[in-house]
Amino acid sequence: MTTSSSQVHSLAVPNRRLPRISLGMLLVLPALTAILLLYALPLARSLVTAFRDSSGAWTTDHVVRAFSLYGRDMLFSVGVVSVSLALIAAISIAISGYLVLGATPWAVRLLRWLYRWPLFIPFVVTGQIARSFLATNGMMNNVLVETGLMASSSAQSFLDWRGLVLTFAWKQVPFVTLLLAGAMAAVDRSHIEAARNAGANRLRCLFEIVLPQAAPSLWVGLILSLVAMLSVLSVPMMLISGNPTMMTAMMAHRITYYGDYGIANALGLFSYALTAVTAWVYLRLTLRREATA
Amino acid sequence: MSTEALTLNNVTVDLRQQRILDGIHLDVSPGSFTCLLGPSGCGKTTLLRAIAGFTPLSQGDIRLGARSITHLPPEKRHTAMVFQSYALWPHMSVGDNLGYPLKLRGVPRAERKRRIAAMLERLELGGFESRAVTQLSGGQRQRIALGRALIIDPPLLLLDEPLSNLDAAIRRSLRSELRRLQKSLGITTIMVTHDQEEALQMADQIVLMRAGKVIQVAAPQTLYQQPADLGVARFLGVDNTVTRHEQDPTVGSRAATFGFRTRDARINEPLRPATLTRKGRVTECVYTGDGYQISLDTNEAELFATANSPIALGTFAVLQVPESALIPFGPDDRHLPPLDRHEDIA
Ligand SMILES: Nc1ncnc2c1ncn2[C@@H]1O[C@H](COP(=O)(O)OP(=O)(O)OP(=O)(O)O)[C@@H](O)[C@H]1O
Ligand SMILES: [Mg+2]
Repeated sequence: MTTSSSQVHSLAVPNRRLPRISLGMLLVLPALTAILLLYALPLARSLVTAFRDSSGAWTTDHVVRAFSLYGRDMLFSVGVVSVSLALIAAISIAISGYLVLGATPWAVRLLRWLYRWPLFIPFVVTGQIARSFLATNGMMNNVLVETGLMASSSAQSFLDWRGLVLTFAWKQVPFVTLLLAGAMAAVDRSHIEAARNAGANRLRCLFEIVLPQAAPSLWVGLILSLVAMLSVLSVPMMLISGNPTMMTAMMAHRITYYGDYGIANALGLFSYALTAVTAWVYLRLTLRREATA
Repeated sequence: MSTEALTLNNVTVDLRQQRILDGIHLDVSPGSFTCLLGPSGCGKTTLLRAIAGFTPLSQGDIRLGARSITHLPPEKRHTAMVFQSYALWPHMSVGDNLGYPLKLRGVPRAERKRRIAAMLERLELGGFESRAVTQLSGGQRQRIALGRALIIDPPLLLLDEPLSNLDAAIRRSLRSELRRLQKSLGITTIMVTHDQEEALQMADQIVLMRAGKVIQVAAPQTLYQQPADLGVARFLGVDNTVTRHEQDPTVGSRAATFGFRTRDARINEPLRPATLTRKGRVTECVYTGDGYQISLDTNEAELFATANSPIALGTFAVLQVPESALIPFGPDDRHLPPLDRHEDIA
């Protein structure tokens, strides 16, 4: 009854489908416009600017100069980001693993409560804290000297690549842990118990049973961290004074002192490429996993 | 590793200040098949988990063979547990699932491969090595989970309702398959079930639990014919209880109550000597496949009996139970030992 009447209806008024499409369009439009205007357009513009000279002619000049001027900074960025990601992954796995497999209930509860705090501190403040903590006469060295663990003469500044790595890790570990611990908690408890029953200790359980099942969340967390580290300006500006430094600092330098958008965009191009490659690798991995599952 | 005896001594478990298991004593002889039977929530799973090492004891001792395993972590106990949900690892193939316990024991790859293939043959799943476990049927998963437990030749096999997720037909066939496998390997096995039929069919010894305590440990026949008390009897299908009358058979003259099963009570048959009889009004008549189940309203209780043909509702009928089918209970609802019968007859 109902189907036939609705068929008749749609046959009689074929153009009734039209308003529905436009209603859908209407709903999508704000989001679409925002993405186009605020994201796609600037992205395209910056890509184009990277390949145009001041007269508007096409050129690869900016890219070549960006590489020759800032090649070291690019390598430095890649290095710092890679070491940071490795550190972030290691610490996040350790914390989430303990949250899921830990045998001391009060320690697990305390850790669960503690690890999230850095999440609520912005990058600028993090940079400031790290600065006063890691400097030559900063808190870390003071404590080490006071407690007699280190001679005051051997105190050195950590405000270089090490400071960057530590700061990035401090800021990003809680975020990645949040994702990873959630995914690990979702792993069926009996999978862990079955493994332990089969003879696996906690560590093997973590790396052979829990982590493989939670890995997609780890990858997502690391890729988002990569993007965050490549885009943050405050931390490298505050922690590193000389050369080489992160590309964001160099881009800002290029724009504020020279008004040179061409080279700044060429540097940006490199950041895009780096994240794009990582995202592509991740997609390949997940697609292959889904194909075999 | 050869099969071993299991001994539980005063095993007590508290979870969140609540006593879940209360002073459990149990001896399981090597190579035997023991069923833990009892109503939902009585602590069967908890007991199994305590043996496997997942639930800490607040008192007591668990021994496997000569050694105490009470304080060992689960991975050092070498028990093999099959989980109710099977708990196959979804990121590993069938072969990897079976091979993981061997890998943990450092068995070389070639040897692993050979033993996985042999186990799959044994489970009648030959050639399934590279299948994803997510693509298996319920019965196949169950068998892989069993294979994963057996592949290390464990001294003790623990099964938590391994058949309860399966449909009736697979269940029956797996029941005998499991029993055959257990016998051929001679492995000490403890299985949790709340299905009395399953326990009676499979077990050498049944442990009947209630509210965290062991009520009775007996062979299936003994448990079926001489349940420790009325509660156990009801759990084992003794649906009818009557208070003893003067004219009732002399068996267990000290009995206050008799219990009997519905299928032992007949309706409107020629009266025989040495039987218990009760008269009542028929209130219900249900076809059960083997015959008709009749509900009888007597003065003291509602009783159930079996008839070959339907009986009109509202009519009066006589229920008759042979003396041999009567289970005598004392005033405290405890079963009267068979010794009493002899004394009574003498
Ligand atoms: N982690 C826990 N914390 C607190 N109480 C628990 C916990 N696990 C189980 N219990 C309680 O212990 C009692 C026994 O549970 P258990 O799972 O052993 O029962 P069971 O005999 O296996 O029941 P079923 O036949 O329904 O599986 C239940 O009352 C349950 O509520
Ligand atoms: Mg249970």
